[in-house]
This record gives sequence, structure tokens and C-alpha cells, in this order.
Amino acid sequence: MASTVIGANITIEGEVIADEDVIVQGTIRGKLVAKDGVTVEAGAVIEADVSGGPMTVAGQITGNVTSTDRVELQSGARVVGNVKAARITIADGAHFKGNVDMDV
Amino acid sequence: MASSGTIIGPETRVRGRITGATDIEIQGHLEGDLHASGEVRIDASGTVAADVHGRRVIVRGAVKGNLSADESIHLEEGARVVGDIHAPRVAIAPGGLVRGHVETGKGDGKHAPAASHAARAAAAAPARHATPSKAHAPAKPARHGAQKPVSKSRITLGGGKSKAPAPVVPVLKKGTKAALTKKR
Repeated sequence: MASTVIGANITIEGEVIADEDVIVQGTIRGKLVAKDGVTVEAGAVIEADVSGGPMTVAGQITGNVTSTDRVELQSGARVVGNVKAARITIADGAHFKGNVDMDV
Repeated sequence: MASSGTIIGPETRVRGRITGATDIEIQGHLEGDLHASGEVRIDASGTVAADVHGRRVIVRGAVKGNLSADESIHLEEGARVVGDIHAPRVAIAPGGLVRGHVETGKGDGKHAPAASHAARAAAAAPARHATPSKAHAPAKPARHGAQKPVSKSRITLGGGKSKAPAPVVPVLKKGTKAALTKKR
């Protein structure tokens, strides 16, 4: 269960460093580093480099995404930036602009 | 719960500014500013080095910074606060620790810290004014010669920059002691 939640009407300008799951519904500008899973829900806005474990993205990310596990861009997601992960899935209807770097 | 509020979990560190309209619960570490129009809850495991403003602020953890609220501030058992507290209503439960200025009553919470800083400056000012006046006084007796060593030490205490070389250590110590006892 995720222990850190950035709610829908919250803006964080700065660094978020979590040794646990993070769910983002609001806005983060700066940097997001998580040890475990990152969930970017629809409506969330991240203008930051994001790194962590398994990621599920339904919101908007502007910045580079690095994952030790998988990155899943769901329908409605908007990602501008490079994605580096072991596995990447992009669902139909997801907007994506950037390089993809997978463990080939 | 997850849909409405914001939680900074116990294993999470945030460095920067958090602003928002929802309730915020801090179980982890925050360094920066926190400004919320909802309820702010700092749990027992939470450590905050920041100025915190909320509609209501409830503290069970550690805070280093000023607290202000539109409605009320509750310091519950286990709360450790180093900083000023300003809200229409302030409650400190047994086991809550505070070091700082506490002010209840209406008024803009934002002005409270500034006002208290001004008050502190004003409180500190007389001490500063006092020493120059002492420094002026010895200017005349300095010609007499007898009181010279004492007056010198006083000048260095108050003016500081007026005399470049520091006086001999025992003299300074005597002067410091005298000045301290005079202030009291």
C-alpha cells in the first residue's frame, strides 16, 4: 500500500525522496525519487525527473523517467521526456514524445 | 482517504515548498515551506523544518519553524515545537513542548512572525543602545586615566569595531561580567 500521497490540489516545488510507494494526484516541480512504485494518476502534473521502481502513468510528466522495473503509460497519459526502464508498455491513446531505452 | 488528502509517508523526505487546498498529513520529513488551506497534521513520526500554515494545524511530532493557522493550532502529547505560534485559538496539551512566542487571537497569521521578530529586535535594541551610551561616558573619564582599563573594555563590548585590537583577555572577561550584571 502506498504510503505517500500527493493529493489533487497540492503543489510541491522541490525534491521528493521516498523509500516507499508514491501516488501523485497533484503537481510536483523539481525532482521525484522513489525506491518503490510510482503512480501518476490522471490529472497529475509532474515537471520533474522521475526515478523509482514500477511506474504507472495516467497523468502528465515533463521530464526524464527512469525505472528499475517497468513503466506503463496508460491511455490519456502525456509524457515528454526520455524513458529508461527494463520494460515499457504504451497503451493506445497515450501521448509520448522522447527516447525509449530498454534493456535489450 | 487516498483520493482526498495528501500524505507524506514515514519513509519520504520532501525538500521544497508544499502548497495546496487539501488536508495534508506528514509522517515523514519536510524541509521548506508548507502552506495549506486545509488541515495540516504532523504525526508523531513527522519531522518538519519549515514554516507551516494551515486552516487548522495539529502537531504530534517535531517542528522547527513558525506555526500559523486560520482557525486553530493543537499541540498534542509528544509535540516538540521550536518556533513562534500564532492562531485565533491555540491549545497545548500536557506533554506538548514549545520554545517560542505564542500568540492567540485574530489577525493575519502571516504578520505574526514578522511582528514577533520586530518585538525581539526592539527588546534587543535597548541593550545595544545602552552600551554606546556607556561608551560615550568613558570618553571623558578616559582623560582622567584612572578608569581607563574598565572603560576600554566597555567600548570593545559595545562598539566592537571602534578599537581594532582586542584587549587583554582578563580585562575583557571583567568587562563582560560587569556589563552582564549591569543589564540585570
